[in-house]
Amino acid sequence: MSSPAISIDDLAYRYDRSEALHGLSLTVQPGECYGFFGRTGAGKTTTIKCLLNLLRPTRGAVRVFGMDPARQEAEVKARLAYVPDFVAFYPWMSVRDSLDYQASFRSHWNRDLERSLLEQLQLDPNLPTTGLSKGQRTQLALIGAIAAEPDLLVLDEPTSGLDPLVRREFIQTIIGAYQDAAPGQRTVFVSTHLITEFEGLIDRFTVVDQGRAVLTATADDARGRFRRIRAEFEGALPEDSEFRQARSIRRRGRTLELVVNGEGESLMEYLRTRGPASLEIESLTLEEIFLHTVQPGTTP
Amino acid sequence: MRIQVQFQSGVPVYLQIVQQVKSAAAGGTLRPGESLPSVRTLAEELRINRNTVARAYTELESDGVIETRQGSGCFLKANGESPLSKSVRQERLLAGIDALIVEAHHFGITDVELKRLLADRLTQNRSQSASH
Repeated sequence: MSSPAISIDDLAYRYDRSEALHGLSLTVQPGECYGFFGRTGAGKTTTIKCLLNLLRPTRGAVRVFGMDPARQEAEVKARLAYVPDFVAFYPWMSVRDSLDYQASFRSHWNRDLERSLLEQLQLDPNLPTTGLSKGQRTQLALIGAIAAEPDLLVLDEPTSGLDPLVRREFIQTIIGAYQDAAPGQRTVFVSTHLITEFEGLIDRFTVVDQGRAVLTATADDARGRFRRIRAEFEGALPEDSEFRQARSIRRRGRTLELVVNGEGESLMEYLRTRGPASLEIESLTLEEIFLHTVQPGTTP
Repeated sequence: MRIQVQFQSGVPVYLQIVQQVKSAAAGGTLRPGESLPSVRTLAEELRINRNTVARAYTELESDGVIETRQGSGCFLKANGESPLSKSVRQERLLAGIDALIVEAHHFGITDVELKRLLADRLTQNRSQSASH
């Protein structure tokens, strides 16, 4: 079997004053679209910096296509493209110059793909990079990353700073264009706290919270397990103590709302025996699953 | 045929596509030889990953529902071309029937009512596919 695109084993990183990562592990298989979900400060960017050899792990190991980024930095960087959450360009360059400059570092560059993305995103190649909005800067960086057609695309908060209305459309276009030429082989590792627009795109994800992986699952499995059950009763509602397996219990008038992680079916069966007036079950969205998994605290 | 996916149904997304194509084929809204949307088109329309559509089509192909013609896309196969043996096909069908029986029991539907519903449905489907 080929090496995983990314493998992170027991990764710890300590900054001067605090530890940002405490034993994080995850594996990304080639071809996956992998979500790395966490609040600001959860350790996402620190992890990515370790992958790129911008930081040396305090403990543990990171491998990209089986290679150690600290020892084979050039080989690792040739196979991936990284788009940070804040992108800087040389101020004297136009969009065109900037793409040519990026292309000069690459052994491969797809001009047709570059042109079609510039058109789709309506980015004028003659614009000076100093005149670009935050969203346009991200677009330019992403076009550069994708035109190089790397085996692995690493995105750090690609949609933050974009208009919520265009975020979803935009990320669909970008990831779709990247996967098009070789579906099933192009790997995406995307770190984000804005999960809604990735709902249909993510194959598998890890939720990182306070430097630890608190949940790793495929999107389908997670949606199959994390479910919301609503039961309406005409008489008195059942007691909370009857639902020990529920992650959360809410009462709203005659309605009982339970969130479960697994055991949804057995709970449904039990509720049916209590004679509810209505009974419904639905899966949580990835965003809701994320919010249920991280420790309560500041909103993401 | 219009494919729709619901993330909150709890059914894996690729499986929703598989099931909808199969039921469109059984109901006659998708006919033998008719083409399915390309992976790219369907992924964009449903706003999902290309991998997911590709996985659904692979499964439909291995179940003998569709066939891929190099360079021209995916097409619905004619009936009875399943590569699975009859016993395997029956076994899969029985699993579905068992699930249906359990569900009917939970809804308080008697065996007689269930048989009648099934018979009605078969008649309806036949007349629908005949009119297509």
